[in-house]
Amino acid sequence: MRRYVEAGTVLHLPLLQRATALDLLYVSYGLLIVALVFASYLIGALGWLPHDPRAMNVALINAAPFTPGHLLGTDFLGRDLQARLILGIQAYFVPGLLAITISIVGGSVLGILAGYRGGAFDTLVTYFANLLDSFPRLVLILLVIAAFKADIYYVMVVVGITGMPAIASLVAGKIAFLRQKSFIEAAHALGLPAHTVILKHILWLNCRAPLVIQATLGMAEAILIETSLSYLGFGVQEPTPSWGNMVLAGANYFLQGNFWPSTAPAAAILATILGFQLLGDGLNNLLEGKRR
Amino acid sequence: MLLSIENLRTYFYSRSKRAFVRSVDGASLSVGRGETLGVVGESGSGKTLAALSAAGLVAGSPGVIGGRIEFKSRNLLDGLERYVKVQERDGRVSAVEKDERGWARRAERLMSGVRGKEIAMIFQNPRAALNPYSTVGAQLVEAVRLHTKWKSKGEAKERALHWLERVRIDSPRLRFDNFPFGMSGGMCQRAMIAMALCAEPSLLIADEPTTGLDATIQARIVELLGELKAGTGITTLLISHDISVIRRLADRVAVMYAGTVVESGAASQVLRPHATEQHPYTTALLASVPSAEAIRAKSALQAIEGEVPDTTSVPRGCRFYGRCNRVTDAVRSRCANLEPPPSEIEPGHKLRCWLHAA
Repeated sequence: MRRYVEAGTVLHLPLLQRATALDLLYVSYGLLIVALVFASYLIGALGWLPHDPRAMNVALINAAPFTPGHLLGTDFLGRDLQARLILGIQAYFVPGLLAITISIVGGSVLGILAGYRGGAFDTLVTYFANLLDSFPRLVLILLVIAAFKADIYYVMVVVGITGMPAIASLVAGKIAFLRQKSFIEAAHALGLPAHTVILKHILWLNCRAPLVIQATLGMAEAILIETSLSYLGFGVQEPTPSWGNMVLAGANYFLQGNFWPSTAPAAAILATILGFQLLGDGLNNLLEGKRR
Repeated sequence: MLLSIENLRTYFYSRSKRAFVRSVDGASLSVGRGETLGVVGESGSGKTLAALSAAGLVAGSPGVIGGRIEFKSRNLLDGLERYVKVQERDGRVSAVEKDERGWARRAERLMSGVRGKEIAMIFQNPRAALNPYSTVGAQLVEAVRLHTKWKSKGEAKERALHWLERVRIDSPRLRFDNFPFGMSGGMCQRAMIAMALCAEPSLLIADEPTTGLDATIQARIVELLGELKAGTGITTLLISHDISVIRRLADRVAVMYAGTVVESGAASQVLRPHATEQHPYTTALLASVPSAEAIRAKSALQAIEGEVPDTTSVPRGCRFYGRCNRVTDAVRSRCANLEPPPSEIEPGHKLRCWLHAA
């Protein structure tokens, strides 16, 4: 069943009633992936790996999956793939969170300035957004890598900053829309200080849903960028595992029939990014009540 | 006097008319402690904007231009004139220079501790005036904690429930966790009234509090306002175009037309039917409302001919001249050319009409 709703209206239905089966499927798959990623991150961070990811075993090079002791097989140096996949999450987890934090905090601040101050600020933020849009993101990242060093945190700062305009326009649009609403006027009439109205009534109560959605989509973006840079050799460097450099390392043996060293990390990338994207999509349908 | 507004002017720039609209243009009115002043007038007469100006809530530019808003013997527009320069030509405002930032900074300082705490407001369309993403209780608790000595969450909740009971919301404990969309319009208005009154303000501005509600609910809200007035003795500035609401609640009445107050006085004086000592506009306004007598006599209602004049250019004479049906040849030239001064025809009853000029 399809429901047509004017953008910005609140759906007066309990959450589960207005959910379609597909939305619920998206969200539950997404949440499962998020939980798996988070659990794997913790396992990696605490060092509870099934194997030492750096231990090489020359006797078991490119071992097939389900080899006793190696559930997913081994790579070209005989290192356990399962352990390396789990440890590979370290490469993007914290940097990705940093990137979305930068874009959400920075974007919200810019959005508030543009939405509330208007005029010159609005123009400035628009110019900033246009400036960033006119540069391909990857080129900007490679520039930063060339100027500084191939560090994933530098890359993620760039990803965070380039993600700011989208958040800023979202928040500014929300503010422009809400400022004409009488409940914001009523909040001012109640004598609430401006920062309470902005932070609590606009940002927290009215923007949290779209911001959470943007955060999940931003995480997918960050993972994609980390893995593609590592695949190209600009990101996380061997012997530290990252899903990107694992695909690269395994690719050399792909045509020799040893497909798993590159397929396992590639499948992990696919499943994870799909999970974050679908979570964002599903939440968008559920919380915002509109199709993207 | 608790609040006295003198010569208030609030202008806006209209892009479609390419001119400044003088929404409030030299309005003066005053409310004494404990009394209810009803402000009546057609749509566009500037009554709502006059109230918003008093609460410092005018959004849009250039907004409030000047005048005095004296509240508890403090001028809320004190020293703001120097941020504004107005150029006028032939009754049209040709340019306004306003240092918005300087004005806002000073106005904010003058209004701090007043808005919400001393002057509270309730609006028309109460459902839209409550944040749809937050429960009624949470919003009420926020207001209580902001303005009263009940700062802890538990105490504030008790206080909020007390006020929900006070505005006669049934089962306040259940309603406390309701979202605005789960409540009827009347309930929302009761919750808004509770939010406004919980700070125990000196002045309540009620801007069309019954407009947009069902007729039966309207009567209930009017009843509640009357009850609260008797119970708390709160001073109220009641804005409405509904004469029956004003008749029921107001002690004194001010009639606004085209941005100014044309008549003010005790409700019994101003709203007296078929009076001769009355502004022609008030007479016309009363004739356009059905009274029990008119219904019995099955006489037709009389609409006021014409429209509220375009307040971009103010005529030289009386603002009501073009629509007035009482002009006599004796005063016609004055009506057309000179703005009538206010004259007190009875104690406390002021008119701006050449027919009654001293």
